[in-house]
Amino acid sequence: MAVRIGVDTGGTFTDLIGVDTTTNQLVVAKTPSTPRRPIDAVIDAINRSEVAPEAMETISIGTTVATNALLQRAGATVLFVTTAGFEDVPFIQRMNRKYHFSLKWTKPTPLVERRNIFGVAERLDFHGTTLTPLTDAALEHLADRLAVRLAEYDPANAAIAICFLFSYVNPEHELRAAEFLAARFPEIPISLSHQIAPIWREYERGSTVIADGYIKPIVRGYVRDAGRAFADNGITAPWTLMKSNGGKTTAAAAEAEPVKLLLSGLAGGIIAGGYFGRLAGADDLVTLDMGGTSCDVGLIRDGKIGYATNYEIEWGLPVATPTIDLTTIGAGGGSIAWIDKGGLLRVGPQSAGADPGPVCYDTGGNAVTVTDANLVLGRLNPEFFLGGRIALNSAKAAAKVAELGEQLGLGLHAAAQAVVDIANENMANAIRVLSIDRGLDPREFALVAFGGAGPLHAADIAAKMGMARAIVPVYPGLTSAFGALIAEPKISQVWSKHFRSDAIDAATVGEHFDEMTDGAIAQLGEEGFTGEPEIERSVSMRYWGQNYEQDVPMAPGSVTPELLQQTLDRFHALHEAFYGYSIGGETIELIRFNVTVLGPTATVALPTIVASDQTTQTADVVTRPVYFPETGVCNAVIVRRETLPVGFAAVGPLIVEEESSTTVVHPGQRLTVNPAGVMTIEL
Amino acid sequence: MSDAERIEPIDPVTLSVINNAFVNVCREMGTAMMRTSYSPIFNEGLDFSCMLFNLRGDLIGQAEFCPTMLGSCQFAMKWMLDEVGLDAFGPGDVFIHNDPYRGQCHMPEHLVVKAVFHEGRPWGFVANIAHVGEIGGMAPGSFAADATEVYQEGLRLPPLKIMAGGDYVRDVWRIVLANHRTPKTTWGDYHAMIGSLNVAEERVQELLAKYGAERLAAASEQLLDYSERFMRAEIAEMPDGVYYAQDCMEDDGITRNPYWMRLRLTIRGDQAICDWTDSDEQAKGPINATFVVTAASCYSGFLHVVSDDIPINAGCYRPIQLVTRPGTLVNVKHPGPSVGGNTETHPHIQNVVLRALAGAVPERATGAEGASSCNFLFGGFHPEYGDYYTNYHIEGSGWGGTIGHDGNSVLCPNNGNCRNTPVEILETKYPFVVEEFRLRPDSAGAGRWRGGLASSRVFRVEAPEITVNALFDRTRTQGPGIFGGGSGASSGIHIQRAGDTAFRSFSEAFGTVSDSKFTRVAVSRGDRIRLDSAGGGGFGDPRERPRESIAEDVRQGLVSPDAARELYGYEEGA
Repeated sequence: MAVRIGVDTGGTFTDLIGVDTTTNQLVVAKTPSTPRRPIDAVIDAINRSEVAPEAMETISIGTTVATNALLQRAGATVLFVTTAGFEDVPFIQRMNRKYHFSLKWTKPTPLVERRNIFGVAERLDFHGTTLTPLTDAALEHLADRLAVRLAEYDPANAAIAICFLFSYVNPEHELRAAEFLAARFPEIPISLSHQIAPIWREYERGSTVIADGYIKPIVRGYVRDAGRAFADNGITAPWTLMKSNGGKTTAAAAEAEPVKLLLSGLAGGIIAGGYFGRLAGADDLVTLDMGGTSCDVGLIRDGKIGYATNYEIEWGLPVATPTIDLTTIGAGGGSIAWIDKGGLLRVGPQSAGADPGPVCYDTGGNAVTVTDANLVLGRLNPEFFLGGRIALNSAKAAAKVAELGEQLGLGLHAAAQAVVDIANENMANAIRVLSIDRGLDPREFALVAFGGAGPLHAADIAAKMGMARAIVPVYPGLTSAFGALIAEPKISQVWSKHFRSDAIDAATVGEHFDEMTDGAIAQLGEEGFTGEPEIERSVSMRYWGQNYEQDVPMAPGSVTPELLQQTLDRFHALHEAFYGYSIGGETIELIRFNVTVLGPTATVALPTIVASDQTTQTADVVTRPVYFPETGVCNAVIVRRETLPVGFAAVGPLIVEEESSTTVVHPGQRLTVNPAGVMTIEL
Repeated sequence: MSDAERIEPIDPVTLSVINNAFVNVCREMGTAMMRTSYSPIFNEGLDFSCMLFNLRGDLIGQAEFCPTMLGSCQFAMKWMLDEVGLDAFGPGDVFIHNDPYRGQCHMPEHLVVKAVFHEGRPWGFVANIAHVGEIGGMAPGSFAADATEVYQEGLRLPPLKIMAGGDYVRDVWRIVLANHRTPKTTWGDYHAMIGSLNVAEERVQELLAKYGAERLAAASEQLLDYSERFMRAEIAEMPDGVYYAQDCMEDDGITRNPYWMRLRLTIRGDQAICDWTDSDEQAKGPINATFVVTAASCYSGFLHVVSDDIPINAGCYRPIQLVTRPGTLVNVKHPGPSVGGNTETHPHIQNVVLRALAGAVPERATGAEGASSCNFLFGGFHPEYGDYYTNYHIEGSGWGGTIGHDGNSVLCPNNGNCRNTPVEILETKYPFVVEEFRLRPDSAGAGRWRGGLASSRVFRVEAPEITVNALFDRTRTQGPGIFGGGSGASSGIHIQRAGDTAFRSFSEAFGTVSDSKFTRVAVSRGDRIRLDSAGGGGFGDPRERPRESIAEDVRQGLVSPDAARELYGYEEGA
């Protein structure tokens, strides 16, 4: 036996899925999360899976530990060191506001106090040339001031973050300051902006390195807890954590750059979405991970996940490290339906969450949620929600939906349908904007939907966007854990340097690419990877004068002027394809050089599900009244997913139930099941 | 209205869905534009707006990018329709127009419009307005602070076809590109604007296919009526009465005299009348507001104090009537200049509207915000790259305190919502070194809820010569507080010539008439220029501010111990 295990620590449940690579058999486990010590739930899930420690090949964990520390503002005291004269940049921010016409809105509060920001006399210009040298005297003075301030705080919960202007061009000053301060304060972790986020834009780079320092002590605690817990339970298999970029990384690397774990809990979903899309024969995908309070949308093109560097902790508080390109929309099962002052129906972004929860949970919730609407429509089974873990109160939900309907002049079902419709429209609209921003047409994509609520809404959202099909993975409630299981080690390196295409030095570019590639390969080795790495290179470019750039892939080989020219030509072509025009002969700015090194790992195969002849036994057919706008209330066939054989095909109305989710097939849509058990709904 | 009556009313759910779809079309348009535009003020600054109009030129949908244009755009659209006629629009045609006497806020803002056709007939229009960075005229960056006529402010385009049937109207492009200083940038920005219209057109076509032309038109009529009803209900809740407020522009760049804007706001039942008749005659210099700037300021003022839920379209403007006298500061007549009327006078007017509204809805009042964009424009030949550049630079100011909140520090004035340009981008593109960029402690108006802080930035010139222009206000006035709150600090622009020991006003150093408005001043290597923005006004009596809030401000260095004592009566440790 050799079981590869993926774990996903969610807000409510910790999920585990394992694949025995010798037999392709799956094991699954689910256990309540333990927010105080998240690793306890991981260990509990592992115990429940009944996989013996010696049978474990690898363990990979997606965790929200870093994200939660930020969202709950439960991080460390950060002392922020920056170029003198620019101490207020974290407070000045970017000068714009979230809403046009609100006097109530306030700017996001930085993760550092103003009094804990320390300016140092030093300055580089945009070439990285020294304008003001960083002297020992200045460092001495800085250290003295830091020492005084540190005395006010618990050193175990403090961190230093450094961001100097233009450090992404020349890191010398940041490195010297770090060396000096490390000698003086050996117990305090130090984060450097040019290492964490080597990008231009001082506010964004500073905000990122502050966030890194802010969560460092917490992530360090988590990583050390985990190491101890595994050892205590006799688990010796190598374990890794999911990173925001969709790769996995070792405990030591995670501890060094914790801010790169921010999307750890979300990255698995999109990776697994790509895997299941491929199993269903689709390479261009929108992934939709919909849970109780929000849904996370990702885009996969030609089987490749997109990357971004524009994550925000909240509006206006950026973390500019490479992440999988993923956007969170405030719509989920718990999203609340409400009527605005003018009488129009709205859904979200407020959510009832798990507490007080939807009306039908019967735990004190009074506001109609999307889940209540689905229940009223007959799309959810009150006795089989989360496999029966929570009994739903249909009568209560119906009463509240009816009340809402009265205010709108709508009957019970029409009101419930309206709530679901508006929630789905909101999601479809948000996905359209995401696609446009990336120059893509969503109609050419298939939707992969998972999370507890994704399959419930998938077919309708896909139809609203003009897509041809929706795909539902195996165990849609465990998709994120599955993603952790199949993730590969991945190191992303970025070098920010500004060149104009009419004055570019191929040799320098080549040197930096080689240095980054070698560094990344070495790091892969440190993380235990021994195979042949895959290397992807790209250059972020734009026309001289533009401010937003595109990543243009660069072919392998040594960087010659010819190869550079080839890459520049490719930019013109890409620009034409995306925006309908290009400007041949125009100077191009090259601003970022990117390398991603992947350690390909043998993919896991899924077991073939039960084969059977296609005739459905009439005696087995269960039906339930379900409302669809096309038909009104009709008797829809209800099936259990685990009974569906390979090659199963049926035309809706049809509801497929399983422990972790419910899939809705609307009248006229066609559902098929492939040999791995992946379901496709054709629209 | 009559169209809507013939067609069965659209149910509220579909209406809500269609409203969201209209907003989303505009969002998609803006996203496409941001990605492909050229000028930093456009893509870093987000100084543009996207909208949908019906065939009458009524705004039926918009997305939040820059608020300044949302109140004014429908005038530009309607007047254009009156002038060229609906028949002038064919499939694939794009009209452009930046004429301040025909409904634009000032000349840098260009409106592009394309009709959307359905089954051979026009259904409505997709449009956007964007600030094009350089449009010629007497000053690089087209912010001529001492202009006395529109002809000095840049190239004026009345409604013109720039694309016909999808093809370039080459003669128009040639004229435009020959008259802008940085034609490449204009070329890129125009393409971004036009390209985004195509994105929006396609989406409206999809909506038309889904709902049908008549139903979609009926829905947009209903949405207009709905917003109107909503706004009327909000105004009806305000006590009837007449409320007065006024403020002044400190000078117009030509003389040192102030120019006053005076509002008599009448709330009667469910409507409001904004009467500006008593405002001063129009200025010689470019601080005049066009009629549509004044209209937009009034609309925006109301939108700040009413429910956030009102869909923003032409309907919500209907209950607000405007009275202005042509030839005044708030309704400029040809050929009066107006470039600063939109950036400087605009937020002043809006602050006056909010101040008058404070009489009606004191619980939603606010101290004034800084109300100067601190427009600083410069151009020259780059000593290293060799090419000619211009740039439009602005600063954020402090906003006013409101019940429950201190004012935000360093935000774009209320008529815009631009981002600043990062120092690292600025220095990479232009020959300056920024020596400091910080908050100005004690710049906030004191109050129970204090105002927001202003910023200060010092540029050092790193080229043999740079031509600079400035269009500031509030350097000799202050943004007032409200209900006992103190005023925010004044703004300022000062220079320390290389070899000099002190910062001086430009009047002192160069003999400019105005301290805050001047053009074509040549500065040289080693000169330092300091831009200070203005602070926000406080709300309520500073003595009522909780002691712990004052202590925290002192602890964080936002308020000095001296100011805490003088303004708040606070003694540390007491």
